[in-house]
Amino acid sequence: MSDIIRREELGDVVVLHILTTSVDAVSAAAIAAECQQMRPITVLDFSEVSFINSAGISALLKFVVNARKSGYQLFAMNVTPHHQKIFKMVEMSRYMPTIEERDLAAYR
Amino acid sequence: MQRVELRIPSIPIFERVVRASAAEIGSAAGLSPERVEDLKLAVSEAVNNAIDHGNRGDTAKLVGVIFEIDGDKLEIRISDQGSGIERLEFSRRVIDDAHLDAGYLRGFGMYLISALVDDYEVDSSQHGTVLTLRLYRKERQQ
Repeated sequence: MSDIIRREELGDVVVLHILTTSVDAVSAAAIAAECQQMRPITVLDFSEVSFINSAGISALLKFVVNARKSGYQLFAMNVTPHHQKIFKMVEMSRYMPTIEERDLAAYR
Repeated sequence: MQRVELRIPSIPIFERVVRASAAEIGSAAGLSPERVEDLKLAVSEAVNNAIDHGNRGDTAKLVGVIFEIDGDKLEIRISDQGSGIERLEFSRRVIDDAHLDAGYLRGFGMYLISALVDDYEVDSSQHGTVLTLRLYRKERQQ
């Protein structure tokens, strides 16, 4: 079990709760490794994340690549306003739209 | 003028030390919380660039960071001990299908720097590269 990500399985949905506060060059490899075990609907939960840089964005893009190859849907949840701004700047939002915690209620 | 100097080995974990310092210094300089977040990201990108591309990951080489608060300006100079670079690419870089299909998932750092600071300049020679970033305390007029 990763100490960087906690998995929450909900049938065809998996919520990957990122436990590190920094999605950066140090944590990128451990985060990206989780992209091998995506589900048809994969949600990345950023509630604990206070910092994301381009090395972190590169790690997140591995989820985008895998989702595109598999025909899966990828979403982000609990993204801070600052990180929403950064995602918009690099157009990550097109490939990993944001959902609300309440949108998962039907699966829980 | 107030000045803070740091020198770190070219090891990614120490970028976090610079970033934490940037947060404190940005607040001390009177930047808004959102601008402090911009500062942290810009400095992080510059330091990682110095580690990866300037010093090429040579842990024996140092990255120097100087913060100067001068009037309404916060200036940060990030230097490496590499052999210089031809150019840094600051043009807009966004995620698109072509890059994803080609597996090219990097290259956002310099664009983010250029978009997040008020101005910047690069001075590179065979003795290393210095990237200077400036943020102004007074919010820019939109």
